[in-house]
Amino acid sequence: MSTQNQNQNGYMLLFRGTDLRKGLSPEELQKVTDNWMNWFKRLTEEGKAVAGNPLEREGKIVAGKDRVVSDGPFAESKEAVGGYFLLDVATMDEAVAIARECPGLPYGIRVEVRPVAGECPIAADIRAEAQFAQV
Amino acid sequence: MSTQNQNGYMLLYRSDEWYEALSHEELQKVINQNKAWIDRLTAQGKARPGHALERKGAIVSGKNGRVLFDGPFAESKEAIGGYLLLDVETLEEAIAIAQSSPSLAYGTSVEVRPLAEECPLDVRARELAREEQLVHA
Repeated sequence: MSTQNQNQNGYMLLFRGTDLRKGLSPEELQKVTDNWMNWFKRLTEEGKAVAGNPLEREGKIVAGKDRVVSDGPFAESKEAVGGYFLLDVATMDEAVAIARECPGLPYGIRVEVRPVAGECPIAADIRAEAQFAQV
Repeated sequence: MSTQNQNGYMLLYRSDEWYEALSHEELQKVINQNKAWIDRLTAQGKARPGHALERKGAIVSGKNGRVLFDGPFAESKEAIGGYLLLDVETLEEAIAIAQSSPSLAYGTSVEVRPLAEECPLDVRARELAREEQLVHA
């Protein structure tokens, strides 16, 4: 892949999937957990992971002009985010290679790999438009 | 639900590219509002640096780590466009901050999630191990 996949601001991995706690034996669950923690520890030691947290399977959603608060489907949904890592790597290739090591993949976890924006992309768009208008 | 949490909260912003439809002036207004809002929260010690995510990326899935490069990161209303980490202790306060997000007026939704101190999988594995011990005791 080309240099347009370079990103100085790092990448975010979002782990999505249904709650792994359902359907795995205690031994399997312990194995996945241990592998996951060792993976994060290694990435941290290598300076490639700078932050990461599991999210509780609970929370709320705020939406709309009226700012209504509702319960989210955080336990059942296959789309629910269960945790994240922030990676200090410079290319999409490297971020994807790390995502492919995720110990949850065989159990149905999907990893979303997203470049972190240095500044709000909306503000960047506006500036680009303003420059274009001046030309 | 316990509403106290020492580890803080994550706000996940979901939306399509709503800003594509705004005029230059409207857009600049939202950007300024948003910046002032985040600056205030940061000055109060309630928010750690957050970031927008580029509207591109990849999804990795399956045992063999299949990579899909064209995710629905632009069109879907469910797509995550950014995040903010909050240093507040209760869900109520995190919700109140989420409710004050300027971009809500434009159709974004905000997911408010407690950060876990310990991996919930680990906690569950220990519970199961304890249950098994009780059965065999």
